[in-house]
Amino acid sequence: MKPEDLARSLPPVLAPVLLGVEAFPGFAARVRFRREGALDVFRAIHDLGFTHLAMIGGIDWVDHREVIYTVWSDEARTYLLLSTDVPADDPRVESAVPVWPSANWHEREAWELVGITFDHHPDLRHLLTPDGYAFHPLLRSFKIHEPEELEVKTRHV
Amino acid sequence: MTATPAAVAPPKNASKVESHRADAELPMAGEPAVPFLEIEALRAREFIPAAKEALTDLIAEQGQSKLIRPVFNWAGRNSLFPLHWGLACCAIEFAAAFGARWDAERFGVVPRSSPRQSDLMIVNGTVTWKVAHKLITLYEQMPEPKWVIAMGNCATGGGPFRTAYSVVPGVDKLVPVDVYIAGCPPRPEAMLDGILLLETLIRERKE
Ligand code: SF4
Repeated sequence: MKPEDLARSLPPVLAPVLLGVEAFPGFAARVRFRREGALDVFRAIHDLGFTHLAMIGGIDWVDHREVIYTVWSDEARTYLLLSTDVPADDPRVESAVPVWPSANWHEREAWELVGITFDHHPDLRHLLTPDGYAFHPLLRSFKIHEPEELEVKTRHV
Repeated sequence: MTATPAAVAPPKNASKVESHRADAELPMAGEPAVPFLEIEALRAREFIPAAKEALTDLIAEQGQSKLIRPVFNWAGRNSLFPLHWGLACCAIEFAAAFGARWDAERFGVVPRSSPRQSDLMIVNGTVTWKVAHKLITLYEQMPEPKWVIAMGNCATGGGPFRTAYSVVPGVDKLVPVDVYIAGCPPRPEAMLDGILLLETLIRERKE
């Protein structure tokens, strides 16, 4: 599947939220979209046969953050990369759980480690860090704490 | 085979066997020797008569309180039941120590799957803050008297992950630790050495 083919097969109503469909090494294509239309893009991609969500990741670019989704199609036997930018001071994006239920834990992880909030997530709780953990440790602004400091902060929040 | 009369005296090679052990001294130095405790091993059919005779004599001689502690220490240190769980890579060595090659059961160490049946917690691996309160719960579920061995660098002080955002820098922040075993991971021999050291500590236990 070529990026042009993919761009042609996406419904035209998505044009306002699509920012580009371009080639990306290792993937069939990389689809960039505005976060406002995230759920529509997810539905359209799912309808194209990309039924398996392999991964959700967050990238901290300091001035903004990026959420990436890796999806797999059994028919085309290829991966597709979806990505959207969110501002660092309001890192929100619509949850993908209604489209791919397996997004649940991936989003919990991205939320606690990179601090991206997923709206309408059914159960946004800590997955790998204890309840009340006050940090988003994979952000670039996270400093390595002295163990004692980390302990105190973890216990008292 | 007839049951031999209660063998209270130590076997001839007992001193040789015990001499390389760190706990060769009797539990209460300077007190009358407790012959019952010098026995390293007895056949099951010999045990009850031997124990009965030794205990009856000693209770008459010394009173109950002085006797109970050494007997309990003797029984406790020879039947340490660690909690059967694993936290990280050190658990592999923990498992290997119970395999055929090292066979920790020689020392009466049998892993139990329930904290209610354990008196020893071997913390074998990286303790994260996520698992910390579960570890404390398990520790509190264990009946007294209980001991903790911190196995490996991670449990001792955080190991290679000491400054990580999610790792408890040493399990002694959560529960009291009796024996630390160094290594990443410690070899099964080191784990057995730690258990033998703990047996020495239990032998010296007074209250
Ligand atoms: S001490 Fe080494 S082997 Fe043991 S749990 Fe830590 S990293 Fe793994």
